[in-house]
Amino acid sequence: MDFQTAAKIGSLLAKDYAEGMFALLVNYQGISASEAATRLNLHIKTSQDFLEALVELDILTGTEVFEKKRPYIRYALKTDRIVIDLDLMQVARKPVVDELSLRVREKENAGARFTVARSGDSIASVAIWIGEGRDRQERKIKLTPPQGRFFYHLPFPKAKPLTVAEIMHKAGLGEEIAPEILDLIQLAMKYGVVEAIQ
Amino acid sequence: MSLVRKLKPDRSITGPLVPLSMLLIFGLTAWIFNLRIGFYTLGFLTAGYALYTLYVVLRTRNQGHIVALVYQLFVGYLCFNFPTYIERRYLDRVEFALAYFSVLLFFGVLLAYLVLTRKIKWRGREIFELAAEPIETANNGYTSRPRPVGKVEYSRQELLDFVRFAARHLVALPYITSKNITLVPVKMGDEFGRVLGLSDDYRDATWVNFDMDGNVSVHISQKDYLDYREPLAFDELCQSLGQVFIDFAELQKKGEGVRFIDRMDDLRIGIFS
Repeated sequence: MDFQTAAKIGSLLAKDYAEGMFALLVNYQGISASEAATRLNLHIKTSQDFLEALVELDILTGTEVFEKKRPYIRYALKTDRIVIDLDLMQVARKPVVDELSLRVREKENAGARFTVARSGDSIASVAIWIGEGRDRQERKIKLTPPQGRFFYHLPFPKAKPLTVAEIMHKAGLGEEIAPEILDLIQLAMKYGVVEAIQ
Repeated sequence: MSLVRKLKPDRSITGPLVPLSMLLIFGLTAWIFNLRIGFYTLGFLTAGYALYTLYVVLRTRNQGHIVALVYQLFVGYLCFNFPTYIERRYLDRVEFALAYFSVLLFFGVLLAYLVLTRKIKWRGREIFELAAEPIETANNGYTSRPRPVGKVEYSRQELLDFVRFAARHLVALPYITSKNITLVPVKMGDEFGRVLGLSDDYRDATWVNFDMDGNVSVHISQKDYLDYREPLAFDELCQSLGQVFIDFAELQKKGEGVRFIDRMDDLRIGIFS
């Protein structure tokens, strides 16, 4: 299951009427949106949106039936279990050699404010300005200890750039830390704090 | 030794401003009230200045400041008693006047000697000049981040000896914690704010830090960087500043720390800058 699907299921289950709605679906052979709405004292649109969303997620079936000439949909459970099985490793960053050999250094006039950690051998946080004019806001990014050490050893603007792997070596960081360092570099490049030099 | 200055000329008047202000306040109070009040005011101000000097002595163990302290205490004492001496005509007695004048003259000459030989001069400008000496490239690259510049193999005791030596010769003001020893070079004129803690946090100033593993890192404040005539290559400047202190520590370890002081004297930077 991907994150988006899990998030949709999660948000539907979080509705305060979700349990009542599922109780109706489990105990009734089939139910329409208006029947569910009157039973749970909901607006029909709320009931309809909820049931349609469950159909989209393949948890319910929706069958069109006719009362005289007026069509409506009756909903029934397609499954008696909802299993949210989310493989967290699907968002894991796998560092590739190219990323680790990226030559980086701090960008000149980045306007970032670095706060040195109390220990004096790493950066605790970086404050950057985002937006323009009156919408300009300060965004403070707190760094993890390995990220702080990486930033501490990052070459200065105009200094000779080093590869990510070289900086990590200088900072005494193992390869297992690479994903969080690469995540930081990506963020820092996005905000113009770090530049990659070919 | 190159005498080409890389720092902008020092036009700060903070140093002489304090004694001149004291004299001005003395003149004003004596004029508005009377001479007795004027002398008492000057006495209080001198005593206040003496307190500051005492703090410098305790903080740095600089011997020259002990002489300045004694001189200030004597002048303060004199100020409190001078109106009485005038009233009772003590100063008409030659031996009495001569004794006071001799003490004043002795300490005055001694103080002038200490000033002229730079024994009570804060050496921040010398440090910044020495750091900039080997830097030829001017490509800016300023950042507020500190830079790791190297490692020294010293025990904590050796580092503390070095730091005490640096403080005693007013090369830098030390800040010692259980994990770090930080040296903050202080320029003449900045000493009041820095010593009394009225300036910004020392971590925002220019510093050289030695941690307990011997790692040396350097931070140069933007204010000090802008004090250079040219936008010197910042990376090299940080490296050089760290190296200045590493060399200094090396000399001090060999018992030749005074050679570093001579090197600073050779720069012939003005005694008030």
